[in-house]
This record gives sequence, structure tokens and C-alpha cells, in this order.
Amino acid sequence: MPPQSAKKRQADFQVIARWVAPGERILDLGCGRGILLEYLKQTKGVYGVGVDVDIDRVSSCVKRSVPVYQGDAHEVLRTFQDDAFDRVIFSRTVEQFDNPDATLREGLRVGKRVTVGFVNHAYWKNRVSAAFRGRRIVNEVYPNPWYASLSANPFSVAEFEDYCQQKHIKIGNKVYLAGDWRRECKFLPNLLAGYAIYDLSSAD
Amino acid sequence: MNDSEQAALIPDEGEVGIVEHQDFVSAERFRFESGGSIPELRQRYETYGRLNAAKDNAILICHALTGDHHCAGVYSLEERKQGWWNFMVGPGKPINTSKYFVICSNALGGCQGSSGPGSINPETGKPYNLDFPKLTVRDMVRAQSLLLDSLGIERLHAVVGGSMGGMQTMQWVIDYPERVGRYIALACGARHTAQAIAFNDTGRQAIITDPGWQQGNYSTDAAPDQGLAVARMMAHITYLSDVGMQSKFGRKRRASAKEHFDVEFEVESYLRYQGKSFVTRFDANSYLYLTKALDRFDLHSPESLDATLSPVTAPGLVVGFTSDWLYPPQGNRELVEALLRLGKDASYAELEMDYGHDSFLVRAPKLYKLIRNFLER
Repeated sequence: MPPQSAKKRQADFQVIARWVAPGERILDLGCGRGILLEYLKQTKGVYGVGVDVDIDRVSSCVKRSVPVYQGDAHEVLRTFQDDAFDRVIFSRTVEQFDNPDATLREGLRVGKRVTVGFVNHAYWKNRVSAAFRGRRIVNEVYPNPWYASLSANPFSVAEFEDYCQQKHIKIGNKVYLAGDWRRECKFLPNLLAGYAIYDLSSAD
Repeated sequence: MNDSEQAALIPDEGEVGIVEHQDFVSAERFRFESGGSIPELRQRYETYGRLNAAKDNAILICHALTGDHHCAGVYSLEERKQGWWNFMVGPGKPINTSKYFVICSNALGGCQGSSGPGSINPETGKPYNLDFPKLTVRDMVRAQSLLLDSLGIERLHAVVGGSMGGMQTMQWVIDYPERVGRYIALACGARHTAQAIAFNDTGRQAIITDPGWQQGNYSTDAAPDQGLAVARMMAHITYLSDVGMQSKFGRKRRASAKEHFDVEFEVESYLRYQGKSFVTRFDANSYLYLTKALDRFDLHSPESLDATLSPVTAPGLVVGFTSDWLYPPQGNRELVEALLRLGKDASYAELEMDYGHDSFLVRAPKLYKLIRNFLER
């Protein structure tokens, strides 16, 4: 389960909405109930398509008039032509891909831009919990103990930025949010940011 | 899915009750895509609910290969068998007849009252049999469009159909984009797989090689019933799933089997019954014509799937079923993938149900909700 509070669940919406230009064509991988796309459609007049694996969430998208495709993110990316979308959004989904590098690269092929939002695993509270308690944290963001969690592959701001550098992926806009996922965090993001959002493009 | 889910009651639902069919007869010559023609066109249909003054609340339902125009209600109070989609169509149901005017017509080429190979050719006074022109899904849809013209309906709120009905639905939004407000296609695809064609042809061969077939010129009292029954038995297997059949029949036996090849297993008994009852309501030549039309249906031709779907303007919902191996999820997905490549408003949902191809005919809460969400939005 994602965080219970809608505010946290939608932490990156405001930031993403700032970056989206009116009328963009957007593919949202892991779109959930289609709230972000509905919002972007209403405020920016975008053509947005969502992808999710869960029928109940897909049914909610259908109700919201958000075009949605029930299926696997990587599989659906493969069906699109190069630059089919202006933007491909991965909001809290990269952690769950079998092969994050391959899926991100497919995203960069299909989208002119890729927007990635993720929970910074190196956030200081996680470090404290691991260092002093020897236990992973269970809180609003990680609500389930290890034995009841989806298989996920958490990573940090520093690890993600290393990856982009190694793979020559260009980082455009970026925003770090503090532990409350609301205020922006300008200082020592790998330690102090709870959440990070990036706009990426292929460096050509 | 289990039985208790199927039986779950949903509040504020009613029944359409007693219904009767109507006939649309056009005395104008109807020309088929193949070039052939028939002197008059008959379409048998039923309607439920009321057409509003603006005539913009109509939903057309397209039935499957061996379905018919009777999709909801009963013909008399004594009758226990309801229309084939009764759980979906009615007051307060997902296809809500309190709000919409629902039309379902027997497909062209069928044998339940619409023009088909078994109909009497008014020019000769005899059944067309194999003189009936080669039939396509496009012809079926054009016949339906003439029926709508006669009802004064210019634009449908929605077209909905499963299986062959799903293919008709896709043909509707390709051929008459301006007449369709939205559409739902269930358990269908852009074209038959080799396996689907193979099963259809085996069924056709069972009919054609039945001595009763007589090159299509059989009389109703000496029809190729055995061939048609075998075709139905085999086709029926393709509508179910391995898991579904196993849980329904397993290896259950009947006590009565005495001779070596008597009915021994429950599943044999079930299929033989399906075959026998099918011949009382279906015409062998219709079966040949309709299955051939489905085998030839191919939205990838003449150019590409994307090119064929490019005229579509209405928002659509395509629904696949995990256990459907006749029209597998991949074939359903492919439609939506192409529509999304073209920048259309289209959605794909996949329901995990054990009933095989026939899943769309099963009352399931998630399917219910999906259809309602799409039609009501």
C-alpha cells in the first residue's frame, strides 16, 4: 500500500504539473487511479494515457475518463514508436521494475522527456533506523514490514544521479522535497531529501 | 470468481420483464461487400427502455456468433430462460434501461429472423441456401445501420459487443465514426488466429461432410444435424477454459453408462446436450456463413491495423479475459495499443476470470463495475 495520506501520495503532482506544458502527450506508468492525469487534463489540456496492472485502479481511471492500459509498463512501452509521447512519467514505480535500466531506457525512447519521482532511500531517518536499530523503517512511506512488502529495489538520490551520469542521461529540472514531502529541500539532498523528482532526456 | 460472487445481489436493480421482438423489413435491394445482393433486408430486433425525444440515448448491443437479438427479459411469465445478457441489461444494471434505449438485432446471415441463408428469397419463393451472398462483418454492421435509420437514430450513445459482437463494434467505429458516441468491445480481436480459423474450419467440415448437408440444399426436417452438433460441441470447448471445465466437471461420471461408448463422463453428457439443443435453434448454413465471415475479418488488412483504425473518433474500452484462449488477451490488447499509438482515447482492461472466452457472459462484480464506470462517465 502507498502512503495513506492523499497529500503524501500526490507529493510530486504539483512539481510535475509545473513542468508539464499545455497540450503535452503524456504516458504515466503506474498511474494508479488516474488522479494525476485527470488533473493534468483539466489544468493543462494534456492527452494522457495511464498504465497500471490493477483492475480496480484501471476501473477508476475508466470512470475518470482517463485512457488507461492494464498491463506491464515495460511491455507497453515496447508497443510505442520513438518519441510517441512528450513525457513519460514514472512516479514511484522505478523501484518495482525487474530491470530498471531497461525500462528507463525504453521510457527515454518513447518519451522526449522522462519524469522520475522516487523516495530517497538514503534519507537520514532510514539511515538512523538501519544503523542504530538494525531494522528497516516502517512508517507512512514504508508502511509494511519486509514480509508483507512488494519486492522493491529502493535507491538513493546519489545512486540515481550516478546512474544518470554513467549512462549519459541528461538531468534537466530537478526538485528535492524534505522529509514531509512538501517543503523543498535545497541542502544535502542525499541525506535530507525524503523525495526527489527529475526531468530526464537522452543526451544526444 | 466463485458462485457466491455470481449470485451477489446488487440493490436497485430491476428486470426488463416481458419483451417481444420486432422486424425491420427494407424492400430496397441490399448489396453486400462481396458484390452480391438480396432483394429485401430483414432485421429482427428487440428494444428495451425508451428512446428519448432527442433520440440520443440509444445503445446498440451486438451479439456473439450463436447469440441472438434476445439479450434481456423473457417472452412470457412461464419462461425461465432469460435473454443472454440479462444480468447486464435492465433497469439499474450497467447497461441501464431506465436511462438508455437498448437495441439488439439478430446479425445479418443469422437464423433467428434476420436475412440469412435459410431465409426465403422473395424472388424465387425458396430459401437462399448457398445463393446467399458471401458475408462480411462489415455487411452485418451496415444492415444494423439501416435498422437505426429506420428508427430515426442518427447517433448512438454507445455500441457494445463481445466476441463476434466485439468485432462488429470495432467495425462500427471504423465505418461510422460519426454515429457512435463511445464503444465497448469485449473478448475480441483484430483478426482470428490460425488456431481460431482451424477450429472454425473443423466445425465447418463436420457440417459439410454430413450427408444431410446436400451442398447446402437440405430441408429443415433432414438437416445436417449431426455435423452441426459436432461443430457446436467442439466450438463450445473453445468457449470454456481448461481450469473452468476441470472445476465444473472434473472426472465426474454418470452411473448409467453400460455400453463401452455410452456417455460416461459428465463432460461428455454436457457437450452432447449442448450439441443436441443447438441444432434445434441454429441453422447449419448460417453457421458456415458466420464463421467464414469471422475468419475473414482482418483489421490488419488492407494496409495495417493502425491505418484501419485511424478513422475512429469515439472513446473506447476493450476488455480481455485472462483465460480466453480463443480470443486471447494479446489480440484484445493489440487493438488498444494501435489506438493509443494513433493518439485515440482508448482503454484496455483485463479481467482475471476462469470462464474462458465466455467470461464476458458471466456475472462478475468487476466486469459490472467496469462497464458501468465507462457508460456512466
